[in-house]
Order: sequence, then C-alpha cells, then structure tokens
Amino acid sequence: MLLTIDTRDPRPIYQQVADGIKELLARRELTEGAALPPVRQLAADLGVNLNTIATAYRELQKDGLIFIRHGSGSVVASRKIAERTQNELLRPLRTALTELILAGLSPSKIISMVTHELGAVGKGK
Amino acid sequence: MRIALYSVIFHVFSWLAHFVQSFRAENWLTTSFFWLQSLAWKSGIQLDVTGFAVIFYAVFWLVRIRGCFRRWRQPLLRGPEWFFSVHVRPGFYDGPGRRILHRYWMRMFIPFALDIPAAIAIFLTGRILLLNWLIMALCAVIHINHVFSVDLAERQARRFAVAETERPVTSVTLSLQPRRLRDYTNSRFEWAIAVPSLLALAWLVGYYFSAPAHHNLRLVFFLPLYCLYMQLGMLYVKRLILAWRTPAPQSQAAEFLEAREKARKFYLLQCDLCRAMVTVQLVLWPFLMNSSEAARDGIIRNWFSAILLFALISGVWVEIKRKQLVKLSLRARPARLPDFLGEREIARWPVCYQPSAPMLMLRGAYGYSLNLANSLAYIGAAYLAGFIALFTLVHSGL
Repeated sequence: MLLTIDTRDPRPIYQQVADGIKELLARRELTEGAALPPVRQLAADLGVNLNTIATAYRELQKDGLIFIRHGSGSVVASRKIAERTQNELLRPLRTALTELILAGLSPSKIISMVTHELGAVGKGK
Repeated sequence: MRIALYSVIFHVFSWLAHFVQSFRAENWLTTSFFWLQSLAWKSGIQLDVTGFAVIFYAVFWLVRIRGCFRRWRQPLLRGPEWFFSVHVRPGFYDGPGRRILHRYWMRMFIPFALDIPAAIAIFLTGRILLLNWLIMALCAVIHINHVFSVDLAERQARRFAVAETERPVTSVTLSLQPRRLRDYTNSRFEWAIAVPSLLALAWLVGYYFSAPAHHNLRLVFFLPLYCLYMQLGMLYVKRLILAWRTPAPQSQAAEFLEAREKARKFYLLQCDLCRAMVTVQLVLWPFLMNSSEAARDGIIRNWFSAILLFALISGVWVEIKRKQLVKLSLRARPARLPDFLGEREIARWPVCYQPSAPMLMLRGAYGYSLNLANSLAYIGAAYLAGFIALFTLVHSGL
C-alpha cells in the first residue's frame, strides 16, 4: 500500500493524495474496513500542512469512499455506488473522451487506450 | 534496606541508560556494570550507594570510548565517495573535506568537555549521587551533539557534493500502513506486564495499610511509583519512534521503507524489553519487602546474576541486529526529499513554534529544530516536569 506524490504533477498535493488512495481502492489493495493512516502521520511523513491531508480525506469522505470516525481514524467504506447515479459517474468519462477526440485520436485508438488504462488501473501499473 | 532500595533504583537507572545508549551500541555499559556488581557481591564487598555510583560512572566512561570509535568511522561507512549521506566530488578528502572531517571528529569530544568539569565539581563537593544525573544528562548530550554535528558536517560537505545528487527527488513514496501505538502492540505482552504489576501494587497497598505506623511510605511506594513512571516514559518513547517520518524516494522505495520499518521494530522491541525489566523489578519489590535480611541478599544476588546473563545475551543480540540494520540501510542510496513546507525557512532556531507543521523535529537551515507546537513536545515536557517533581517529592520526604 504505497502512495506516490510527484512534484512535477500539476495537480495539488491533496488531489494527488486523494487520487492515489482512489487508485489503491480501484486495485483492491485497500479493501472495505481497512484503516487509513491518521492525518497527522501522513502529513508528517510527507512534510506538508495537516490541512492538505485533511482536505484529501474530506474529498474521499464526500465521495463515500471512506468514513472518518473521530478519535479512531479513517476507514475504507464499503464499495457501493448507491449515492452516485450512472450519469454522475459517466460525466468525467465523457469529458475525458471529448478531450481525446478533440486531440485528434481515432475511436479505435481511444478504445485501445481506454482498454490499456483499465488494465493498468486494475493491475496497479 | 536502604542499600537494597538504592541498588534496585540503580538498576532502573542503568536500564534507562542502557535504553538511551543502545541506540548507539553502548549497551555493554549495562553488562560491565552488572558484572562488576556481581563480582562485588561474590567477593563479599558491601558497596554502598556512592560506591555503586562511582563504579557506574567509571564504566560509563570506558564504554563511551567504544562509541567514539564507531562515530569516528561513520562518515566513511558508504565508501570514499561519500561523506555520511552526501555524495562528494572526487578528491574531497584531500581538500576541504579533510578539514570538515577533522572538525566533525573534534566536535565528538564536546560531551567530554562538559563532563569533566561537572564530574570534578561533583567529586569536590562530595555529592557523589549526582553522578547518576550526570550520566543521564550525558546520554542525552552525547546523542544531541552527534545529531547536530552530523547535520552541520553534512551541510558543510554539500558545497562539495556531486551536483546531480543534490537535487531533491521529484517523486516521494509513502506507506499507507497506519502507525498507531495499537498497531505495534502485542496484547499478550501488555497483559503479561499489566497483571503482575497490578498484583504487586495491590500487595504493596495491603502491606502498607496492614500497619501504616510501622511502614515507611517512601520505602514501600517510591520504587513501584518510579517503575510505573518509567513504563509511561517507555510508552512515550514508543510514540516518538512511531512518529519517525518515513518518506522514501520512489526509485528506491522498497529499500528505504524496509530499512526504516526494521529499524523501527528493533527500537520498539528494545522499549518493550526495558518495560519487561522494569516490570520484573516492580514484581520483585514485594518479595524484597516481605523477606528476611538474609533472604533479601539472596534475592538481590540472584537478580543480579539473571540481569547479568540477560544483559550479556541482549548485548550480543543488539550488536548483531545493529550490524544487520546498518547493512540494510546502506543498501538504500541517500536522496534529498522535497521540502514542501519550506522547513529551511520556517525553522531557523533549535526550537520553533510552527502549528502548521505536523512534525516534532523540523530540518531547518541551521540544523534540527524542535517544534514546540507539536503535542509530543507538550507530553515530553510534562513528563520531564513530572520526573523532576517525583524525585523532588521523594527527596523532600513526601
């Protein structure tokens, strides 16, 4: 269960932390009920402000991926997508596909890229 | 009885010193100390409390020499291309590096410069028992001096470092494994410590209240109280070890994280060994209180022998483990990690107050800086104040 932060990545650190944890969830390296490190531990290890990690955790909580129990830390929530409609889930996919089409890629190329990325996310590459 | 009390207190002291020193392999201090104690018992020499203090101090001096040799070699552990964790240019040790290295070697003797006048003053004033406090203070001074000295030497050497190795890495890897005290706690071990301690305390309470007029409150309860306080101290040290930061460059994450985790577990185990020893002393106390003068000597003698054996075995074990840990840490090539918080800017003094920084120690522009805004700093300060208060209360007769 390793999380990598890249200083060259244009995303803010809190976003990288949240996305990194989401990837671990997608790869099932973090399973339901697994404890996440306390905010203070992660912030100290990385050497960032406490709010940076707290913001990342809040985002994950907002997405229903973790729940924060005050005093006993954060835990991975069950993988239900009940609160999020299919439309909501498809929105970022549509945005990404639009960008790829505008970049001039052919549908077959896009499908091959999506298949490859899907495999990579699953395997944790 | 007074001597028995003090000799057991010395055990606790020596184990604390053992713990502090074992971070840098001077646990032979304990071994030698107990060997001398056993020798004195076997020869029928009745050492008084000041005699023990002088022996302890003398052994402490001898054992420090070994630490000096080890620290002497430390800058070159990675080979001639390195100065500690700085990858230096070829010819570094023929030029400016020689001076930096010599200065580092000279700074190693700062604790001796503080120790000698203090010891002379203690001997001249005849307050020999203060030697124990001097040893405790020196344990801290030696390590703090070393940490700051290494940091200073590395900063000086960085001016002559290979440029590309001095750039901070762009990717940092962290482990998402929680490091709470309960994640590193063995519940069976905790029960094995808690139950005998509670039973011993219950027995002592019953013993005292069976005839309060005939028993000395200080004699009955000081050592158990001290042992419990030591237990709390060890738990605090465990929390500090768990708070030890573990970022790693992505390119060598596995090596870094493995070395750090193994070192962390090793230090935590040492804490637990100390806690076990303190518990045994606490449990032994009711037996000492309840036994005759002759039987008491026998118990203490057997206890010394057991401690001696344990110290010998643990001394060998610690040395072996330490060598393994050094080998493991040498596998990971040192790398500079990005400074997201701007620690070099915000921590310019040995102490700072930075509520925004979650770390206890910041690596500032001029060395390490203790962050007073961290909760561990408050707990540590409260613990030290409590320690002083405990001894003041006992010294003043409660």
